Amino acid sequence: MKKGIGIALVALIATVAAASAQGAHRQLQTASAAGVSCNSTLKLAMVTPITGGAGFLGTEQLSWAKYAVATLPKTMGLKVQLLQGDTPVEQGAAPALTLAQKYAADPSVVGIIGPSTSGDAEASAQIYYHAGIAQISPSATDIPLTYTVNGKKLGTPAFFRDVPANNIEGPTIAAYITNKLKAKNVVVFDFQEPYSQGLASSISGYLTKHSVNVSHLSAPNTTTDYSAYVTKVPSNTDVVVFPTQQPPAAQTFAEQLVEQGKKAVVFGGDGADAPAQFNHAGDYVANFAPDISGIPSDAGIVAGWQKANPTMTLGSFGPPTYGAVQLMLNAIKIACAKDHGVLKRADVYRNMKKVTIKNWILGGTFKWSTKTNDPLNAHFFIFQIQSNGKYKLVNN
Amino acid sequence: MSELTPPTPPPVDPGAEPPAGPAVGRDEWVAREGERRAARHPWIGTVEGRLRRVPWWAWLTLFVAAGALMPAFESSGYVRLVAFETVIYMVLALGLNLIVGWAGLLDLGYIAYFGVGSYVYAIFDSPKFGFHVPTIVLIPAATIIGALVGLCVGLPSRRLSGDYLAIMTLFFLELFETVATNGNQIFGHNITGGSFGISNVSPLSFFGHRLAVEHQGIFAVSYYYIAIVMFVIIFVTLRFANLSRTGRAWRSLREDTLAAEVMGMPVNWLKLLSFATGAGVAALAGTVTTALNASVYPLNFSPVVMITIYAMVILGGIGSQWGAVLGAILISVLLQVLQNPGQARALFYLGVIVGVIAMFRFSLRLAAVVAATAVFGVVVHAVAASYHHSWVDGAHGGVAGVLGDWVVVPVQLAPWVGQVAYLLLLIGMLCVTQLRGWLRIVALPPTLYLAGFVWENLMIPNPGPARYIILGLLLIVLMIVRPNGLLGERRVEIT
Amino acid sequence: MQFFIQLTLDGLTVGSVYALVALGYTLIYGVLKLLNFAHGDVFMVGSFIGYGVLQALGGASDPMVPVWLLLLLVTGAAMVGCSVLGVVIERFAYRPLRDAPRIAPLISALGVSFFLANSMQLLFGAQQFNYASYNLSGGALYFRGFDLDGVHVPLLRIITIGAAVVLMVILWFLVNHTRTGKAMRATSFDREAASMLGIDIDHVIVFTFVLGSALAGAAGVMFALRVPTFAAVGFTTGLKGFTAAVIGGIGSIPGAMVGGILLGCAESYTAGYWTTAWSDLVVFTILILFMIFRPRGLFGRVDIRKV
Repeated sequence: MKKGIGIALVALIATVAAASAQGAHRQLQTASAAGVSCNSTLKLAMVTPITGGAGFLGTEQLSWAKYAVATLPKTMGLKVQLLQGDTPVEQGAAPALTLAQKYAADPSVVGIIGPSTSGDAEASAQIYYHAGIAQISPSATDIPLTYTVNGKKLGTPAFFRDVPANNIEGPTIAAYITNKLKAKNVVVFDFQEPYSQGLASSISGYLTKHSVNVSHLSAPNTTTDYSAYVTKVPSNTDVVVFPTQQPPAAQTFAEQLVEQGKKAVVFGGDGADAPAQFNHAGDYVANFAPDISGIPSDAGIVAGWQKANPTMTLGSFGPPTYGAVQLMLNAIKIACAKDHGVLKRADVYRNMKKVTIKNWILGGTFKWSTKTNDPLNAHFFIFQIQSNGKYKLVNN
Repeated sequence: MSELTPPTPPPVDPGAEPPAGPAVGRDEWVAREGERRAARHPWIGTVEGRLRRVPWWAWLTLFVAAGALMPAFESSGYVRLVAFETVIYMVLALGLNLIVGWAGLLDLGYIAYFGVGSYVYAIFDSPKFGFHVPTIVLIPAATIIGALVGLCVGLPSRRLSGDYLAIMTLFFLELFETVATNGNQIFGHNITGGSFGISNVSPLSFFGHRLAVEHQGIFAVSYYYIAIVMFVIIFVTLRFANLSRTGRAWRSLREDTLAAEVMGMPVNWLKLLSFATGAGVAALAGTVTTALNASVYPLNFSPVVMITIYAMVILGGIGSQWGAVLGAILISVLLQVLQNPGQARALFYLGVIVGVIAMFRFSLRLAAVVAATAVFGVVVHAVAASYHHSWVDGAHGGVAGVLGDWVVVPVQLAPWVGQVAYLLLLIGMLCVTQLRGWLRIVALPPTLYLAGFVWENLMIPNPGPARYIILGLLLIVLMIVRPNGLLGERRVEIT
Repeated sequence: MQFFIQLTLDGLTVGSVYALVALGYTLIYGVLKLLNFAHGDVFMVGSFIGYGVLQALGGASDPMVPVWLLLLLVTGAAMVGCSVLGVVIERFAYRPLRDAPRIAPLISALGVSFFLANSMQLLFGAQQFNYASYNLSGGALYFRGFDLDGVHVPLLRIITIGAAVVLMVILWFLVNHTRTGKAMRATSFDREAASMLGIDIDHVIVFTFVLGSALAGAAGVMFALRVPTFAAVGFTTGLKGFTAAVIGGIGSIPGAMVGGILLGCAESYTAGYWTTAWSDLVVFTILILFMIFRPRGLFGRVDIRKV
């Protein structure tokens, strides 16, 4: 018992010592943080699920954010450090709130990349807004974050996103299925998590309104083997909408459809966009950007990222993160100029809308919408997978 | 001539530890070593005896006072929020300690009761259905509902024991998760909000007055105080429960269920009672947490959180209330510290130093190992630097200053190097535990250096999985070295 | 009818993987009375090892050896690798806890599970990846096969089910017709008595872990040949395998085999005939009912304690 208390005390002291090792932030936390010099090392924090069930999303986004922070600031005369905050989906909104408090208390944090999940974004938006920190999310697509829905808006003037919201992807896909593919029987999947359920209900609604026969299948998120679901797909189905976030799952599903002799075509959302992994000929993918390896001005960026991350494959969640960092840095630059070298946090989000970027990583020129904090004229692109596995744009 | 009087027992020093009891396979003389050491230093023994006589509520008051004064010294909303979460973990750990430590029932579905409390609060105090039950009524109601759910889980489980009980409760947790995730389609009614959860949950309200969750973005410290009050209530209640007849009955249940039943204890009723009480505690913790987060999602209550709370109870010592509290604090702080590179680095080197000292005490061997590690590192660094400067130029931040010449931090780490280094480190660590004597001293410096290398290059850039690796290793080592945790009592299990 | 046959085929395929994992759980529980929560992660490591060997041999699109040899090598490598891993885990995480209270090895197993899953994520990332067996010799695994009443049974499924059956037969032979197998059965019956009779318990336990982990490795390869694998798959698949072992009666080898098949079929029938959303719920309710009314499972022994 004595030995136990002794060990306990040592452990307690050690952890407390470690906790205060980095020099605690003893400054009083105020709502509008005092300015920080633009010549010092500014900090951007990435809030994304790095571990847990959605770890694939966070690790991909983080790799692009790291690459952006490693290459962009020096071309703009800034010194930037990237902090990473892990918000595993298994712990709900609590890590996002804790991280929000942490970053709000650190005066050199001048921008947040994320939060990546809509739930975390909604939970922490008010805290960041009151602390005056701008956030750009590369993947939180819940509509109320930038729109007013049923009289309530969950976003704030400090919250932006550089990808279109859910109200665009669903109708685009559904319209294509109805008009171009002229499908009569469609099966829509969801995986009992918000991204696919939101997309599935939006697509089903549109299809039903346009007299297409829709049947719904719901698979638990932990499903790995879809054979029984493939069996359940009726043989007269034309299209199966499969809004997965894992491209290999879409590939396997398509292969199993062929195996069971079903002629249905698989339609994936932006989560299934990965030419290296989902390349089953004849299927479709929707994305808010064309495959950036096909954009000439991105060749250097893609090559550099691949060199820094040789084991990762190019996916769809990463490039918007790079873009978000780019937008944030540009806004910081404008704010620094306005504040004469002593940056005030709130000026970053106040000047965000002034940023335009030519040769935007997702193609074209990036401008903010004047009405919401979303990109201007954001729309979705539909690709068909060719027999050589490449994606071909089919709806522009 | 036969002895008519039994031999007198040896004089017991009032300040010494009570006999540790025969540990399995240990010689009694060896087991009483601690007593004899205490007896050799009478003044330590007396001090310890005096401390032991301080009543438990005095310790509690001191602890709570320290906790309550913390916000005066630390104005950062982040630290206060972490403190709040730690208090919630403490409450959860106390509840789990009741079921696992006092009643000896392995409940792997404990976190589901936390979820029940959270959902009840969210359903009845949010715009979802329009209910806005005042908190004074809602929190006790949620606690009771949680206890009832615990009762329901306990009912079919009362005939099961040991592993089967664990399996059954794990299935209940999965069942709860499935119902919560699909609860938006129960006969056409949307009850739990499905995978989207319930958001915009209202904060706590007292007498019509809503307690804001944050002021200008900073965590409202009033929630921290509410959590402390909750903790005190639970701690005191459970303490009295443990000291009562029911507590003794639970202990008998834990030690030997069959014997307890033969003695006439109402075993089934005791099991149900412990389930229900533990569940009520968890539900109570859930209500306040949901009020703070203003939302609830089905994924909040996954087995990962379950295992974290188990780790807390086990680290502190199963069966000890203060152990549960200590375990909660240590693991909660550990998980936060391991998220920050600077603090994680400090913790690692501190840990290595403490570990090496524990292994060798202050001796020549310690000095040899430390010196050898330092030299080894400098040599490797020099060799790598002479090869190509990009092999060592990756360091920045705190490393470059102090340890820059010791740890090799390449600018670009090829993945296979990291993988091979990790594998070698594992092999090295396993070998070190097996070797003895000078072989161990020889094997340690390269292993320590590899550990530093892996820590700097793999773990610090990836704090997410690194945290759980450390937690997993901690559990394994803890079970091998000190299965009764830090403050637990050593028990002999009769199978 | 065709629907039923297809669903049964699906259930058998999925169930074979569950059965192999369940066998590992059952073997280890029988000998050590320990629920080895790390078993699912050993299965996951097996699928990763298989992927590594597959890539080393040229990958699915351009293998350096004929397909049958490729599959044999991949499976063999995974089995060997997992056996080594299983022995190491037993030696370092479970053996010191042989005489400790029952909860200690259980927690240690949880720790090992955490450690393995997160180490794999640290080293290889959290993304899913495919063996891409569809590309092996132009899709032969998917297109060649035979037809059963209108239902196409592709080669890949034949391989999966066949490999599981072959492995189970080998296991049955090893357990029932060799001396070590007899020693294993004796140990699982009563460890103290077996050691008193001169059986080397350590050897028997190591042998059990080798067998169980090898089966898990093979299961990992069979699994990953058909569906994508990733670092976190160990927990869910382990849970399913463990469920199968419980249904069949934990500690009983035929029970594990039957339990796996039953679980696979239950899942596919529920998804096919009723609703897919609640298939998990149905499975868990069945299990809970099983636990209430027949906790020893289908083939398990009733545990009689003498006091």
